Amino acid sequence: MRLHPLTSLAAACSTAVITTAAASLPLSLAVMGAAVVLSARGGTARRLLPAAAAVLLPLGLSLLVMHGLFFPEGRTVLAQWGVARVTAEGLAFALERAAQLGAVVLALLVFSFSVSVPDLVAVLPSRGVHGRFAFVLASTLTLLPAITSRVERIRQAQESRGLVVRRGVLHRAAAFRLQAVPLVLSLIEDAGTRTAALEARGFSNPGPRTSYRDVPDPRGQRVLRAALLAAAAAAVAARLLLTQAGS
Amino acid sequence: MSPSLTLPAPAPAAARKRRLLEILGAAAIAATYVYLVLNQPADITGGPGSASALIALSGFLVGAILLIVAVLPTLPASTVVLIPVALVLNIVLGQFVGSTLVPFYLDAIGTVLIAVLAGPAAGAATGALSSIVWSFFNPTVLPFAAGAALIGCLAGLAARHGMFRRLYLAPVAGFVTGIIGGVVSAPVAAFVFGGTSGVATGAIVSAFRSMGDTLLAAITKQALISDPMDKAIVFTVVAVLAYALPRRTRLQFPFVRRHRVLAGTSPEQGS
Repeated sequence: MRLHPLTSLAAACSTAVITTAAASLPLSLAVMGAAVVLSARGGTARRLLPAAAAVLLPLGLSLLVMHGLFFPEGRTVLAQWGVARVTAEGLAFALERAAQLGAVVLALLVFSFSVSVPDLVAVLPSRGVHGRFAFVLASTLTLLPAITSRVERIRQAQESRGLVVRRGVLHRAAAFRLQAVPLVLSLIEDAGTRTAALEARGFSNPGPRTSYRDVPDPRGQRVLRAALLAAAAAAVAARLLLTQAGS
Repeated sequence: MSPSLTLPAPAPAAARKRRLLEILGAAAIAATYVYLVLNQPADITGGPGSASALIALSGFLVGAILLIVAVLPTLPASTVVLIPVALVLNIVLGQFVGSTLVPFYLDAIGTVLIAVLAGPAAGAATGALSSIVWSFFNPTVLPFAAGAALIGCLAGLAARHGMFRRLYLAPVAGFVTGIIGGVVSAPVAAFVFGGTSGVATGAIVSAFRSMGDTLLAAITKQALISDPMDKAIVFTVVAVLAYALPRRTRLQFPFVRRHRVLAGTSPEQGS
């Protein structure tokens, strides 16, 4: 069965919220494992894992260096070089934080790599705030690959005119300017043309809209969405109550 | 875009509701910040996922979403069409710098460009939307939505008060914006991430931690080192880009015409 885009969004968000609220290492690791399995079964693992690694590796490394070496609150010292002290508390803190963030990042990435953007845009109402948000979302996601290739073309054009990137900050800044100015110029010109086209089609007019794309939304999934959101709210409330009781 | 001649103008009640949403959004962000700073020593290293992370996330996100809901419908179509362009610029440039060993982010060039061309409200909406859409590829930027909205709003205000009329004033405005933005974003980094997301910025935080600072103090100091420099660079880049635009393109934007944002675009000359 195909999931409604809002159902998978609700699932990803409530997973992220519940993992943050629970703050338990086993749960975070389980969520990470489940996310990887889900993406492998959905066939998106090959794109998802590099994206997740690009986010999580620097983050994890930074946390490890920051708390592993310097954790003034730590008591159990495992090793010491000068001012740097490796403490058990610091390592545990870094590990827990990294696992928790990893679970959140993977849960949200599984959603964004598996969702069909046209479906997601189709289920958002097409006027008012939602319509404009849907336009911004869809437009950005389709512009990104187009612009990446345009950057490449501009670079080639400037290189054929004799642009050589030499070492040194000033040279790099000049090279950046030679490529950024044509890019921004052409993007703003394009946006102006697109505005006229959209306005001619009644982009900012009030009134009903017709969508040619129909995304089925079975009753079971609507109930499931409500349950997921309720579970997330309950987890947050439980965490806040526990903290109140604890302090 | 001129107001429509055939469609009814929006009712004043709707405008009042939007104003209320704007104020609520700003209040949510301010209240979350004050709460986090006042309560910080209690549980920052007492275990992750503590209530503070949830409060930081929800407070800042709700504030950012309220601002988007208030501002987005009021923007003219020409600005709405520019927002995706700004987001792509943010993502393409920010993704590149974020992964290198430089303690800067440069992830706000598009946001500041929109703020200069279309005003503070558009800048704030672009900043918040940028974080939300970027989180499709990198969910760790989502909690910084409120900070990004603040940067966009401040950049627009700086442009309105003529800080982009002279090229040497732009980095000064960026520096001040960076100080405010850095101080507001630091609790997010501290409570949600327990650190920073980059290696170079992490090294600076470690240095302050080794002197015995609390995590929030260390991250705030790191933000005070990185952010003002970062935003000074971003504002300068945007000023260079804005002046490189042809006069016809610059004068396309009512905000630039009305407030004489850029030198040489006075309303008397523009036609």
